[in-house]
Amino acid sequence: MSTVERDGGPAADALGPTVPRLLLGIQLHRFREAAGVSPEQAGYEIRASRSKISRMENGRVRFKERDVTDLLTLYGVTDAKTRAGLVALVRQANSPGWWSKYGDIMADWFEAYLGLEMAASVIRTFELQFVHGLFQTEDYARAVTLLGHTTASAAEIDRRVNMRLKRQDLLTGPEPPQVWSVIDEGALRRPVGGTAVMQAQLKRLIEVAQRRHVTVQVVPFSRGGHAAAGGSFTVLRFGEPEVPDVVYIEQLTSALYLDKREDVDHYMEVMNHLSTEALTPAQSMRFLADLSRET
Amino acid sequence: MTDDRSQTQGEPGPERPDGTAGTAIDTTVPHSARIWNYWLGGKDNYAVDRQAGDQYKDIFPGIAVVAQTSRAFLTRAVRYLAGQAGIRQFLDIGTGLPTADNTHQVAQRVAPESRIVYVDNDPLVLAHARALLTSAPEGSTEYLAADIRNPAAILDAAAGLLDFTQPIALMLMGIMGHFTDEEAYPIVSRLLAGLPSGSYFALYDGADTNEAFNEAQRGYNDSGAVPYHLRSPEQFARFFEGLELVEPGVVPVPHWRPDPDAPAVEIYSYCGVGRKP
Repeated sequence: MSTVERDGGPAADALGPTVPRLLLGIQLHRFREAAGVSPEQAGYEIRASRSKISRMENGRVRFKERDVTDLLTLYGVTDAKTRAGLVALVRQANSPGWWSKYGDIMADWFEAYLGLEMAASVIRTFELQFVHGLFQTEDYARAVTLLGHTTASAAEIDRRVNMRLKRQDLLTGPEPPQVWSVIDEGALRRPVGGTAVMQAQLKRLIEVAQRRHVTVQVVPFSRGGHAAAGGSFTVLRFGEPEVPDVVYIEQLTSALYLDKREDVDHYMEVMNHLSTEALTPAQSMRFLADLSRET
Repeated sequence: MTDDRSQTQGEPGPERPDGTAGTAIDTTVPHSARIWNYWLGGKDNYAVDRQAGDQYKDIFPGIAVVAQTSRAFLTRAVRYLAGQAGIRQFLDIGTGLPTADNTHQVAQRVAPESRIVYVDNDPLVLAHARALLTSAPEGSTEYLAADIRNPAAILDAAAGLLDFTQPIALMLMGIMGHFTDEEAYPIVSRLLAGLPSGSYFALYDGADTNEAFNEAQRGYNDSGAVPYHLRSPEQFARFFEGLELVEPGVVPVPHWRPDPDAPAVEIYSYCGVGRKP
């Protein structure tokens, strides 16, 4: 379990980037094995020891971008997209560096999450209060942001809103992840930003849910047992068989990453219950259409 | 040996009036679709499934290879059906949890307009199928909550989704082991009787030709998972009576139209593809 604290103190430095480091290590290991390169050879390439390579592959060191690119070259990984993905991970893994630099802490743990989201092949979300960030309209995103940052300047609000919208590029990229979102009826009825904003948001949700790689399921009030039992959370799944699922829970002043199997199992079980308890995707579309006519 | 397909016990499971699929996920007993997912290297399994899967592996270490090889047969069979046989409609009963190459992905790679009806009676499987087994824009995927013990209900519902004047491929992949001969043969005949001439039937299941495999299976059947029965090659042949068998006939799964680079493995699962005259 990793907790990223808002104040960017020791907890954040020690544990914040666990997941990106882990992902990076696993992938470097895989590429090295595939290339038939020994840890000694790899160490020699980057002027380091065999044990340094092993620590890297276990995600237990701070990564240098140049080491990673040199290793990728040695392993014959030439695909630009793959290389860029790993370099992006290096930057995330070293994210405590940013934190001291920027001091705008909340945005940073969120950005670290965005990197993971971009690496995921399946994103499963449960939303109790708000429409998921990937599906928000600009006005809705602004209303949500204002709720959380009542004293922020207009410029800062703009920056935060822009970040939320930038995140949605994920859905229109060349190989978008499957986004499977379960949403509580309460989140659909709460008129965040007012009735007109909510109306437009419901329309957007209906549009987005029609995409092949997006699934929206509504948990109606009539069957809310599991929905009532916990808060919103996200499970990220990665295409690599050896990379574990990661549970992400956003809290008011921090975020929680869980990647231990028992924890993930527990959340996945809840997610599966929610998915079977919810209306089917087809039913949910009808529900959303009805609701959008009502409001 | 079990299947990547879900359990088929219990009452027929139509959607409830409010459209939800029900909530019967039990994580306290092993579940065949989740154990199979574990053997295939998937992540949709729980501790109880991994434990049952590991116990099986202790007695019969080759089970993961059986799972992968059997799944590879599904890929080759669908590729053949969509390709050489020109089939554009698939009725896949006992869908199981999604894996790398699902029926619609294989079929739509050959013919994007392919239409697939996935049938299962397990709410977990159906929820995954609806969310993740989504069609290319040119074709379609539909999901039926139904029990194979009621073939008439499946045919009725499928008639609203597929064109029954055109050939349909019926797929029963690793699912008939859940039924005794007395149940299994009539189910298959009734399903085939409802399909038009020129339709195809593809099946694989575990065979009883290896003693360690048989022993592992007995242990599995005591684990609380829905029991699964191994059949002899002769019993497999009976499923295809009255059909024109596609070459090479009813054979161990690695021998059915293998890919050129396929490794040579001994696998105790049998399969076949037949055409309804």
